[in-house]
Order: sequence, then C-alpha cells, then structure tokens
Amino acid sequence: MRLFTIYTVDGVVNGMVYAAVALALVMIWRATRIVNYAQGAMAMFTTYIALVVIQHGVWYWFAFVIALAAGLVLGALTERVLVRPVESRPPLNAVILSLGVLILLEAVAPMLFGGQTQSFPAPFSRIDITTGSTQLYVSPFDLFSVGAVLVAMVLLFLVFQRTTLGLRMRAAAFNPEISRILGIRVGRMLTLGWGLAALLGALAGVLAAPAIFLYSNNMDEVLVFGFTGAIIGGLDSPIGAVIGALGVGLVLSYVSGYIGSDLAPLGGLVMLIAVLMVRPQGLFTFGRQRQV
Amino acid sequence: MRSLLRRSTLLRHGLFFLALAAILGALTWFVFDPFTEYNVAGVAIYAISAAGLTVLTGLNGQVSLGHGALMMIGAYTTSVLLQWHPDLPLILMLFASIATTGVAGAIIGIAGARLRGPYLAGATLSLAVALPQVPTHFASLFGGNQGISVPTPVPPDALAAVTPQQWFTWICLAAAVITFFLLANLVRSATGRRLQMVRDNEVAARLAGVDVARTQVLAFVISAICAGLAGSLFAYWITLTSPTGFTLTLSLSLLTVVVIGGLGSLTGAVLGSFIIVYLPVWTGGFASSANLPSNVANNVPLAIYGIVLIAAILVFPRGIAGGVASISRAVATTFRSRRQTSTLPASPAPPAQ
Amino acid sequence: MLEVSNLTVAYGGVIALDEVSLSVPDASITAVLGANGAGKTTLVRTISGLVKPRHGSVLLGETQLVGRTPEAIARLGVGHVPEGHGIISELSVDENLRLGGLWRRDRADQRVAIEEAYELFPPLLARRAVQAANLSGGERQMLSIGRALVARPSALLLDEPSLGLATILLAQIMQRLTALVSERKLSVLLIEQNARSALSVADHAVVLSLGKVALSDRAERLAGDDALRHAYLGF
Repeated sequence: MRLFTIYTVDGVVNGMVYAAVALALVMIWRATRIVNYAQGAMAMFTTYIALVVIQHGVWYWFAFVIALAAGLVLGALTERVLVRPVESRPPLNAVILSLGVLILLEAVAPMLFGGQTQSFPAPFSRIDITTGSTQLYVSPFDLFSVGAVLVAMVLLFLVFQRTTLGLRMRAAAFNPEISRILGIRVGRMLTLGWGLAALLGALAGVLAAPAIFLYSNNMDEVLVFGFTGAIIGGLDSPIGAVIGALGVGLVLSYVSGYIGSDLAPLGGLVMLIAVLMVRPQGLFTFGRQRQV
Repeated sequence: MRSLLRRSTLLRHGLFFLALAAILGALTWFVFDPFTEYNVAGVAIYAISAAGLTVLTGLNGQVSLGHGALMMIGAYTTSVLLQWHPDLPLILMLFASIATTGVAGAIIGIAGARLRGPYLAGATLSLAVALPQVPTHFASLFGGNQGISVPTPVPPDALAAVTPQQWFTWICLAAAVITFFLLANLVRSATGRRLQMVRDNEVAARLAGVDVARTQVLAFVISAICAGLAGSLFAYWITLTSPTGFTLTLSLSLLTVVVIGGLGSLTGAVLGSFIIVYLPVWTGGFASSANLPSNVANNVPLAIYGIVLIAAILVFPRGIAGGVASISRAVATTFRSRRQTSTLPASPAPPAQ
Repeated sequence: MLEVSNLTVAYGGVIALDEVSLSVPDASITAVLGANGAGKTTLVRTISGLVKPRHGSVLLGETQLVGRTPEAIARLGVGHVPEGHGIISELSVDENLRLGGLWRRDRADQRVAIEEAYELFPPLLARRAVQAANLSGGERQMLSIGRALVARPSALLLDEPSLGLATILLAQIMQRLTALVSERKLSVLLIEQNARSALSVADHAVVLSLGKVALSDRAERLAGDDALRHAYLGF
C-alpha cells in the first residue's frame, strides 16, 4: 500500500509536467492542425537559457521568468518564420519541418552550452516532507510543480474564455476564414497561440530539469509522454490532454515501480496502442470530429 | 530487342541492376581503399532502410518515426542468434532478421491501420523511444547497455584473395541491388499503384475495390523488411549492437534521408544515404582542421540535417530530388520544343512553355 | 458607395468572373441574380478579399480594396455574410455577436451595437448563451447578419440569405434590413437564387451569366417586364 501511494503521487506529479506539454501540443493543434514535435526540444533550449542566466549569478525566479519569456518568443518566431509558409500545405510538410527544428535545436544546444550533462536547480527542496513522525510522499518542489502547472492552466483558461483576446484566438482557431472577414488578424492570433504553447512547454522544461538533468535530448521522453497523453485524450480536447497525460504519468509510474524503470516507456506505448485500438480519435473527441 | 526492353519493365530493371552490381563490385575490388569500402557498405545499408521508408511514406503516405526501432529489431535478432551460435551463416541471419522484423512490421501495421497522420506518427515515435530501453532491461538476453559484439563475416576459402572488408562490402552492395531491384518493380506494379491510390484518396480507393487496411499493412511490412535487412547488416557493420546505436536520432536520420532524396524516390534514397554517411566524414575532417571543439564538431552533421530538412520543406516541398526532377523536366521540355522547330520548318512556333 | 470595375477572376484556367462592373450607391440594395455557377459567390468573395482577382478594381468610397487582406477589408467597413450562415458554431450566440467589430476602439459604442443587434433580432436575445451549433437555420441567419451589422459596416455583402429559411422569416428579415439600409445609408449587395424575393426589396438588379454581366437594370423594371424576366430568370 505504501509503495502504491508513493507511485501514485509520483505519477501525478510527473503527469502534471506531461500535462503542460500535452496542453501545449493541443493548443497548437487546435490553432494550426500541426503537431509541434519540436516542443520538447524548445523547452530544453529555454531551460538552457535559464541555466546560463543562473550561472551568471541571477536569482532563480528571474531566470524562471526569462525561461518562460524565451519560450514565448521562440514559439512566436517559429510560427511566424518557419511554420506560416507551411500552414496551407499538406500536413506531411509540417511534420518534417517541426522534426527539422527538433534536430536543429538538439544539435545547436551542445554547441552553445557544452556537450556534458548539467544539473539544474530546483527552487524548493526535493526531499519528501516530514511532519512530525509521518512522512508525506511529496516534496515542496513537487507541490510547487503541480501548483505551477495548475496556475498556468487556470490563467490560460481565463485568457481564452474570459478575454476578448482569447475570444479572437478561439475564433481564429475554430474558423480562420470567417474570422478574417470579421476583421480578426488570424495570422497574429496563430503566432500568439504558438508563443503561449511554447511558454507552457518552457514551464515543463524548468520543472522537469532538476530530476532528469539537462542535456540535448532530455526532453525527448517528456515530449513523447506529453504527446501520448494528448493523443489518448484526443488532440482537440484540452481537458482530455490533461487527463490523458495524468493517466500516462500514473501508468509510467506503476510500470517503473512494479516492473522496472527501463520498461516504463514501453508501458506508455502499450497504453497508447490500447486506447487507439478502441478509439482511434482519442477518448475525449466527441461530435464534431475533423478527419484526422 | 529494343521493343522487348521497352515492354518488359522486369527485364529492363534486371539488366540495369545487374550492370550496376557488376560496376560497383569491380570498383570495390580494384579501386576502393578500406575506408571507402567501409563507407560504401554503410551507404548501401542506409539505402536499403531508406528505400523501404520512402516507399512507406512517399508512396503510401504513412509517416513512420520508428524505423530506427525496426532496424534495432533486425540487428538484435542477428546479434542474439550469433551470440548463441557464432558459426551461423550470414545469409541465414539476414533471413532471420527479415522474418522477425516482418512480423513486427505486420503487428505495427495492423495496430496502426486505423491511425492517420499525427496519430500514427505519434505511435511510431513512442516506439522509437520505448524500444531501445528493452535491451537495457533484459540485459541477460540482450547484453544490456554494453551490447553484444558481432564478428565480421569471413569470405569463403575459394575467395582467399578478398579481404573480409571487401567481402562484406560486396554483400551489402548485393543486398542493396537486390532490394532496389525488387522495390523498383514493386513501384511500377499494380501493387505499387494501389499503395499510391490509398495515399491519394482513401475513399476513392475503397470505392474502387481496394482493401485499404490490407494495403496499409502490406506497405508497413515491406518497409519493415527493408529495415530488418538493413539492421542485420548494420550489426555486422558496427560490430557492436547496443541500445545507444538505435536512438531516436537514427529514426530521424532515416526520415532526413528520405526527405532529402525526395519522398517516394528510390534514387533519392541512395543520394540521401550517401550524404548521411559522408557528411559526418567531411565535417569531421573540416572540424579537426579548423580545430573546433568536440561539442561543436560532433553536432555539425546533425545541425546540417536540421537546416536541410527545414530548407527542403520551405524551398522544395517535395524534397531536393523533387526539386532536381523539376529542373531536369524543364530542361527536357526546352530541348524538345527546340528540336520541334528545327525539324518542322513549316509548322507554326510551339506555344510558350 | 461600392464600385466594382472590370473585375476578372480565374481559377486555374477557368474564368469565373469576366470584366464584371457594377455599382451600389449609398442607402440602396443591389440584387445579384443568376444561375448556379454564374459567379455570384465568387464576386462576393473577391470583394471581401478571400479571392484574389486577376485584374479589376473594387472601390469602397475612395479606397481601393483589391490587394488587401480580408481582415483589412473588414476593418475598412465591409461586412460579409457568407453563404451557409458564416457563424462559428463552437462559440455562443453572444460570443459570435461580440466578434463583429472587435477592432473598434469605441467600446461603449460596441456594446450599443450589440444591443441593437438583439433589438433587431429578438429571438437571439433569448438564446444568447446557447452554442451557435444548436441554433435553427433562421436563427443562424439572423446571427450571421446581426454579427455583420455590429461592426457598423458601410457596405454589406449578403450571400444567399434565403437558403434554408421559411418564406415568412425571410420576408421579416428583409423588411428589417430595408429599414436599416435607409437609416444607416448602407450599400447592400444581395446575392440570391430566390430572384423573386430579392427583386421585391432591391433597388437595382444585376444578372450574371457564366461570369459576365448579362443585364443591369432597375429592379422594378426587371420584375415588371415579363419577357425580360423569363429570358434571364426563368419565371
């Protein structure tokens, strides 16, 4: 029972980080019908930027904000410069383009930041909290991670559902043509969408780095797990993405704990295949289903 | 004779590839130094794998980000069998790897038959990341992280003058020539047309009586077999089969090869493989002469792949071979129209191209 | 004032619009009639910027519209109500209305404009929180037109508003529209297959045939002259 609790808590904490990536992928998919395979690599890159800043003596929280801002800029730039020409072309082009960005970022990072694995600081202790004689199975950093992702999700929700900007972004994503004849600058909305998604990715990057360390492909697995969560939930559903990612986190944690940590990704793959065999469009895609 | 050649694709292809094999074989024996022999073998291996992938993705439209994992299955099949019985003949190993990877391809194909676009890409991506962990976990069977060492094949006694390196290069070239011969015929055949029909318009294909799911699975099996064959040869080539040789980078490199060469182009697969093997060689040489630090030097080829992929999509949406193809087509059309005006002086000028 | 001159549009090798010229004065309705495929929708989509013409000009007052993006054209005061209701089904009625004229600085006037749209189409008020996908055909049409009007356009392009609407409802909507046209000095381009209802509200009529202007005349003349009507409109 004790092990089960530990694995469950681990699963949820990790799942929240995957959920940030999953949500980022869903945001971009809903806006531009593209899967950004480079999302993980972008997050790795922005985390490196934060590390450099910290190594120059800057306070962690400034570096944290800089990482998020760098994500915003990186995402927006990528959309405006690289993705825009490809948005109207067949989907395969966008797949290859984002893979190209992935490869490029993972090659340039060691060039700029050095090839050896580095550690990344956590702003709070990563030791499980002990209150009196009972040991809880969460650390302060775990709580912060979960909290940070939750706050980010709530903020995004508020922006999308309660502001005019969010209304425009949703309109641009749902129906770009009609949005255009309503005077909405659809291009700008898409750029902003990519920027916000990359910001979420950057958050996932700094939250994951203390545990998985920092090297050029540290986020490959996180991307795959986030992607798995998004697919399981159905690429069109933000809530589905979060639930899917949490599910993936839990399954990975149980497989890792009860069977072996090497096989965790395989467990994730099995889960993915299982869901897709039953519902190829994902668990939470209802009604108005676009042809995949 | 000419009319026979024109009518029979099989004969045409057969003669072409036979001649090609003879030329390459001779070059290996007479011209190439050991370093070149090694690289040429590598090009052949990547070309086999890339050819399968280009048929799957280019002709049939299914994106696979997991072909590195399929190569891994082929490599480990051969390696584990050799570890158990070092004297097993190479040809048997090749077929064993083809068999296991073919089965794996069928499983993936069936599982993925209903998946399209990003969903299939995601599933194969997960495979590419998950599978390399399996040998690490089942270390006793698969050699764990240290891997399994694979002996270099020895030429038969009758060919004592041939070095093992040359012998192996011949084997790789032969495998590549045979694979390309078979695939070239497949592409031109009814099956090849079916693959493309499903890619272009599934609904129309279904209405025309094509079994879409079976076609998708077939395409996957064919490409998997190529990856398996390549994987088996790969094990001999790098002499050590370990998880680090089959990371996501391999799958992405294969995709790069296919994109550079042009989706669906067999010639392009060779061109791209050539670049993928020789680029690290060239950049490595350049890096050491420019005294670049290792963290920069090692990553130059990857950086170039990334840039090339991005540039290829932005500039040549159908891959560089496609771009080359359109240039040569334009040149051919100009020549044709010029010839027309000179041989038919009485006819009016042809319409502007 | 909306002035179209020598507008030519081609898709690949096919000419969809061939030197089309027409003008819509302020406070008037011009009906564009013709068979399916005559080029009516292409005309409207070209004016609103969704389609690029090969050559020709579209003037809104003094401003040239050709070459501008659809967003820019919308912001200059062109309201386009597309064929098939042009609403965003995933958003609510209120959200759809709010989308009209979002670029305008005058927030207070924006709110007034939205209230006016609800006054114009009272059924929408009751359904303001409903997702647009769940509206009936008539409600969708009202929403579509209301949304275009919220932006306070000077020119309004209506593409087949009668599609899927009961005759009575159509008549009601057209009535309110006519009142608005004179109130706000709108230039309205009304594309219609239902020539009869269009001619009853329009001031001027243009008949398109295979991308060319076949006839351009006062609406009552076309409606009154049986021979002309038979020849061009088949009734």
